[in-house]
Amino acid sequence: MFSKLKSKLRRIRERATPQVKRPFYIGLAVGLGLAGLVVLGFLNTESFMAMPSSFDGIATSQAIWGLKPSNLLMVLPLGSFLVVLARSFIGLRAFGLFTPMLIALAFLQIGPVMGPIVLGSSVIVGMIVAPALLRLRMTRVGFLGVLISLIVLTLVALQIVLDTQLQVDAFPVVVCALVVERWWRQWEKDGPVAAARVAFNTFIISVVVQFVMVSHIALMLIEASPLLMPACTGLAIAILGRYRGLRLSEIHRFAPIWLERRRVARDEEMAAQPVLPGLIDDPPDIPAMTLENTVLAARERAPPVEGIWVIDSVDDLNSFSRRRVPQIKPDSEVQFVPRSGASKRPAKHNAWIVRSAEDV
Amino acid sequence: MFMNIKNPFKRSAANQVSSVHTQMGLPDPKNPLDEILGLNMRNALIAKYNPRSAIDKALDKVAAKDALESNGISCTRSIAVISDYMGLTHFKPEEVLPDAWAIKPARGSQGDGILLAVGKQGENWVKGSGTVLTPEFVMHHIRRIVDGQFSGESLSEDAALIEPLICADPGLAKLVPEGLPDLRVICLGDQPLMGMVRLPTMESDGKANLHQGAIGAGVSLETGQITRALKGHEVLTNHPDTGSQLVGFEIPHWEKVLEMASKCGPAVGLGYSGADIVLDVNEGPLVLEVNAHPGLEIQNINQLGLKAQMAIVGEDFR
Repeated sequence: MFSKLKSKLRRIRERATPQVKRPFYIGLAVGLGLAGLVVLGFLNTESFMAMPSSFDGIATSQAIWGLKPSNLLMVLPLGSFLVVLARSFIGLRAFGLFTPMLIALAFLQIGPVMGPIVLGSSVIVGMIVAPALLRLRMTRVGFLGVLISLIVLTLVALQIVLDTQLQVDAFPVVVCALVVERWWRQWEKDGPVAAARVAFNTFIISVVVQFVMVSHIALMLIEASPLLMPACTGLAIAILGRYRGLRLSEIHRFAPIWLERRRVARDEEMAAQPVLPGLIDDPPDIPAMTLENTVLAARERAPPVEGIWVIDSVDDLNSFSRRRVPQIKPDSEVQFVPRSGASKRPAKHNAWIVRSAEDV
Repeated sequence: MFMNIKNPFKRSAANQVSSVHTQMGLPDPKNPLDEILGLNMRNALIAKYNPRSAIDKALDKVAAKDALESNGISCTRSIAVISDYMGLTHFKPEEVLPDAWAIKPARGSQGDGILLAVGKQGENWVKGSGTVLTPEFVMHHIRRIVDGQFSGESLSEDAALIEPLICADPGLAKLVPEGLPDLRVICLGDQPLMGMVRLPTMESDGKANLHQGAIGAGVSLETGQITRALKGHEVLTNHPDTGSQLVGFEIPHWEKVLEMASKCGPAVGLGYSGADIVLDVNEGPLVLEVNAHPGLEIQNINQLGLKAQMAIVGEDFR
């Protein structure tokens, strides 16, 4: 199974044109950079499991990551830059526009592990209660209002179960309610699978945003000059916001179109290539090329021997540009099973057998 | 500005030829990806051509209908419009509604909140699937619409639009097991760029919604014939439920459809628009609605890039 995946990846790599490779490499570079920042933020996190109550009175973000509440404002543009990147360059679908950033902020206030727990349990409670609320024929405003009170109840329950003080203020509660509501609407509209995918994207973006915001580099930059970060990210967003090309996900979405275009273009090129007159032997008198004949001939002919040179043109006679006859690959690796008689051209080798100098 | 980031990656001389095109912002003939319209570029075009007021008008089916009809474009008839709670209390479904009708939220999107009845059974109506609709349920549905439950993100009140159920043109209707096929034509200004027909399947439950499993079939603008049919990612030649051949089928009244579609955008004030048109058995082509944000899946269905089509019409993408 693993080798199949590997050969599939290799095939995609071989077929990709520079136009596809270019955004892919940019995306890869950006992704690696982000991954590095996330690792930095991860390393910067010492106490994952610490309860917010154990920091007696100090804000969670400061106690865990040393992010001063006043500096929390400064990392916001960084988060929005990442959200814009994920949206208009990568093309990830997430709940709302800047919801991932809000969730990341809520995580910063509750803690790297407690945040997802609080959010996840709110969503689960919402999922259980929403059908009942809908059966009551509630309006949307009422639905949202009930959700907020339910989430507060969930938080209280969590505090009792975990025997701690979460020190959650109004902000994460509202964020949770919004997420539950969006999740429910997405579920209603597109079904559970699509909603789960969007929720997963949102979660991943917010975790990345959270760790990038507390990474050592970001914190150092803010300490060095508080205004540097907002100014730089503002500029970066302005540049990125003007990007009008395809998103990475759209390259995948519209791949059938450009694959077809490329196939047509290649066929035209093949058709337009002039046949080199002197280089190709007159074919030995083949009887009329009917389908049966072609298939018969193809069956009779042994597969090309390994190690024979292919000579298509004069250039191929140079020793450094010689190519071996391509060998038939096992079925698992070829893309299409070769079919005799499918193409209009007669089946013939374009290889000369060269064993000695006289043959040339 | 960001476009310049491409340059360091350019290596071969082959790309140099096309740089004139890319500098102009036009699709590069050697680069198939460049023919395709992405969401970023689509949003830029919408910002350029579709003023906010026109988008608002297009989003509101009642206002759009007014604008279209005053420009002489025939739309589906309306039975009633319930726009507030006052109207809701005075509305008597038993007296007003005919046997077959459609109730739609005026600001709904993607077919959300649309309720269809195909016939009457005593006091009640029947859905296409056979489910019985009591007058109480119908009233509750209208109340949900007026509450704004189907009108996107905003918590605003909405109007419920009640129309007689449209009977599809027999030519088109025989292609599908149930439901109403609709035609989508994307226009830039008054130039039609690309067309498709959406055919409901059993899987899509009679809805002409591509996400729910309806078939999208590309229609050639010149001939009106279906060139290619796609369900999800699967290429089809025949309808899976009825077995009737799709590829090569000629859409009735295609000339009329194109003519109507090209008028729709200007009538509402949209420069870049997607008109949804249905073929009624009696009245011929009728405009269902005009989209200010038409989707991009039509490119996969036609296997053509919208950007290339726009370049032919003379768009400079600036």
